[in-house]
Amino acid sequence: MRRYDCMVELAGRLRDELVVLSLGGSVDEWYTAAPHMRTASLFQQQLGCVTPEAFGLAVGLPHRRVVSLDTDGGLLFNLGILATLGNEQPANLFTVVWDNERYQSIGGPPTHTASGRVDLAAIARGAGVSEAYTARTVEEFAAHCAAGLAATVPYLVVAKVSGEVEPGIKRKHSDGREDKYVFVRHVEESEGIVIMGPSEHN
Amino acid sequence: MHDSAVGEVLAGLTAAGVSVACYLPDSLFKPLYPAMDAEPGLRTIRVTNEGEGAAICGGVFLSGRRAMLVMENSGLRASVEPLARMGLGAGIPVVMLMSYRGEMGENNWWAVPHGTTMEPVLGALRIPYRVVREEKDIRQSIVDAYELAYSSYYHTAIALGGGIVR
Repeated sequence: MRRYDCMVELAGRLRDELVVLSLGGSVDEWYTAAPHMRTASLFQQQLGCVTPEAFGLAVGLPHRRVVSLDTDGGLLFNLGILATLGNEQPANLFTVVWDNERYQSIGGPPTHTASGRVDLAAIARGAGVSEAYTARTVEEFAAHCAAGLAATVPYLVVAKVSGEVEPGIKRKHSDGREDKYVFVRHVEESEGIVIMGPSEHN
Repeated sequence: MHDSAVGEVLAGLTAAGVSVACYLPDSLFKPLYPAMDAEPGLRTIRVTNEGEGAAICGGVFLSGRRAMLVMENSGLRASVEPLARMGLGAGIPVVMLMSYRGEMGENNWWAVPHGTTMEPVLGALRIPYRVVREEKDIRQSIVDAYELAYSSYYHTAIALGGGIVR
């Protein structure tokens, strides 16, 4: 299963959602696969922070669906967030874990899931995220997207994907600081709120 | 920590507009945690480590609400990576309230390194901070921490020490 194909499948289902995603090859793939979601996606480079940040966003905007696009390496960096999700039971958080069994952005050395013994969905279920599954085909993934985007409990799908990056895709040029501003302005506009307002004096 | 100091923290959170508190409990702030849990209008989230709490607070910032990370100062060390990534890399601020373990008066050997490392770690991350040892300064210090964090879009920290926590 190719990650890019899954992204295209997911992107076609998104309208008003907010997305937080991880570092590495998935950044440029998502940038290309979901052009209508660019300003609604927080592109970050924070191993271990993606799902916690997405959860924080979901806490602050309980009426809004938040999608976390995490990775095997990123989730393994901070498995504790699964226990927090299990206890807190956010009703508006859909987590996708792109599990390519490698640290792709640094050339592909294996993560712990490459052994075949480490099952992230099973860990999630054990942590209290009962709706946690593994998808191995695009069709399975699509079904979990439909369920996860409509769920009223935390929903997690581990997408077992190959290590290839979609060739010839457009590279994102902005850094994390610019991406934050773009994302915050999108949240401000779509929610009618001020997050980063003016100083007392200009 | 006396009830009056707990009350000042809660008053500071209210004055600063904080509606979410992430915490990993410690002994010096022991009465603060159930008080926060019981505070109307404040959602508390217990976390498995302080770095996870920092990242959740960063996400809350992006939603337009205000969060605080409450912890022992040893949690600062556990938070360094997410704080560096979010703060230095993206300008996503986290405001922290820490108990000051390991300062003068510390009577636990294991807590001494907490004091040894706290201020150098804050300095290494260029995080502005204030050590508060007088109860009367708690409320305004919390408000000040949010003012600066939301002007700089960078982290700030308050460490409560001295007679406030002993």
